[in-house]
Amino acid sequence: MTDTPIDKAAQATPEPLARRIRGLSDRSIAWIFVAPTIFLLLAVNIFPLIWTIRLSFTDYRVNRPNREVEWVGLRNYERILTDPDVWATMQATAHFLIWTIVLQVLIGFALAYLINKKFRGNDLWTTIIVFPMMLSPAVVGNFWTFLYQPQIGLFNYVIAFFTGADPASFSMIGDVHLAPWAIVIADTWMWTPFVMLICLAGLRSIPDSIYEAAECDRASKWRQFWTITVPMVLPFLMLAVLFRGIENFKMFDLVVQLTGGGPGNTTTLTSIDLKREAFEKWRTGYSSAYAVILFVTVFGLASIYVKALNKVKER
Amino acid sequence: MAEVCLTGITKRFGKDVALDDVTMTIPDGSFVVLLGPTGAGKTTTLRMVSGLDAPDQGRITIGGHNMVGLTPAQRDVAMVFQQYSLYPHMTVRQNLEFPLKSPILRTPQADIDRKVAEIAEILQISSKLDNKATALSGGEMQRVSIGRALVRNPSVYLMDEPLSSLDAKLRADLRLELKSIQADSGATLLYVTHDQIEAMTMATHVGVLDKGRLVQFGSPREIYENPVSIYAASRLGQPRINVLPADIFGGAPSGAASIGLRPEQIVQGEGEESLVQRVEHLGDQTRLHLTCKSHDIITVTDAHTELKPGDIVRIRPRNPFYFDATGARLA
Repeated sequence: MTDTPIDKAAQATPEPLARRIRGLSDRSIAWIFVAPTIFLLLAVNIFPLIWTIRLSFTDYRVNRPNREVEWVGLRNYERILTDPDVWATMQATAHFLIWTIVLQVLIGFALAYLINKKFRGNDLWTTIIVFPMMLSPAVVGNFWTFLYQPQIGLFNYVIAFFTGADPASFSMIGDVHLAPWAIVIADTWMWTPFVMLICLAGLRSIPDSIYEAAECDRASKWRQFWTITVPMVLPFLMLAVLFRGIENFKMFDLVVQLTGGGPGNTTTLTSIDLKREAFEKWRTGYSSAYAVILFVTVFGLASIYVKALNKVKER
Repeated sequence: MAEVCLTGITKRFGKDVALDDVTMTIPDGSFVVLLGPTGAGKTTTLRMVSGLDAPDQGRITIGGHNMVGLTPAQRDVAMVFQQYSLYPHMTVRQNLEFPLKSPILRTPQADIDRKVAEIAEILQISSKLDNKATALSGGEMQRVSIGRALVRNPSVYLMDEPLSSLDAKLRADLRLELKSIQADSGATLLYVTHDQIEAMTMATHVGVLDKGRLVQFGSPREIYENPVSIYAASRLGQPRINVLPADIFGGAPSGAASIGLRPEQIVQGEGEESLVQRVEHLGDQTRLHLTCKSHDIITVTDAHTELKPGDIVRIRPRNPFYFDATGARLA
């Protein structure tokens, strides 16, 4: 049996390197390489997640470690979901999320479309436009408080210049109706360049020859825009929306620095509310439940969205 | 359909002269093939006619109308691009429909469907109509790209090496197909290739381009039988024309620097002795690689020849071409 040419060839084939050296199979080598990552992931991601879920069913308070911990079942969840204040923060978050995304997508795409045209110094303009993105959110929040200053702020001055209103007659941060827009404007100023960069990558991925073909096929510029540019940039645009959506769902630094959640609770986004519950009121069990609810929401929305994104890419 | 006239077209890209004073008339209903190696200016000529690029000098008319400053859409040209340029996010069907769905045309959907089905049938891509354009092989993409031009009825078709990435059999099929579509519809077609078989089989006229200059324009036979230069003579004919020093066989006219011999201009059995180096049996013919006075010659002989390497064959020229030192043909 062992004399057939095939068997001989099989015997002559050298064994995998790993086995010859240490007596380890390729599979075990693979496990050795992956193990540190898996361990790290378990330690810093999976374990805290499971621990948080466990805590969410208790009345544990981290500032009183010696107190008896009571198992409260679903009571934390019930209290959160029936609390009108929580729903108010959810509403503030939704307002912030929707408007920042709408504005950033529209302005970002428009800027990318313009910057993508061949003109002198467009690289310089790209660098200038991208600048806000490089700043720290806390710094941005801080200097927008100056811009929004009714007496000395540039923002009020510009608005007053164009509308003729008295610059001191309104306060973007102090007014309950204007404050939600104040944070939308600041975030849009900071992050529109990011959306623009991703759109620009999409626009640059469309070869000129496709436009030339469309030109020969007698498609107007308008039709080229809607049948070629938009569909081909759409996957990029959706990716930008996903990034911005996730980022802004957990928005904290910029808004805390700018409005501190006020006036009243008008700009208290869920992440700010959550931080207060967890680390100012020290209601650890309650805030764990809060965190789980937010996690499930983001995770659910993101999954649906990614499915849609993949569908667009497959088209 | 329309006549296309190019007059004194010059185009420079920086310091490079892509086209140098090209003048030619593409008659209505003709199939004109531009022949030349890479960089000869073939594609540039197409782009000038299409309106994708503007010439630095010269004028172009289509059907008697001056085309300077008009867009490709206004010129009503259909172009097949060498790099396919399909719309990647669309299906094959959507790609083929695209030119017909132009809002100015208002073509009824039934007509569009019929036209697309007809073209897909000819190009053998009917089964791929609902595939995404990016999920095709190179040859299939190229056919879709041809189809996107053929669904229309433009004043002139422009094709840039449309058969280059097809396999041999499909290429032969489509050569015939393109030729018969053009002959039936009476379309004017400007076609770029470096494949001389495409030029010989399809063209009514061949334009030979050399470094941006149009060196000869005429029917394929004319260029084959009466080339103006060594360059033009080498564009057509397989095996290539043999170019040797003029005095090798004697009898050269004064001023001749070289002699050009196509296989049919070489008589075997008499004249100078030459040594058989290699014998290539191609089935329908046999190629002989000879050395005559230390010059290589390739010619064709009887398919069932008994000759083998080392044999001696006598050859002499018959009605050869003579060229001067610059490569130009002597009258």
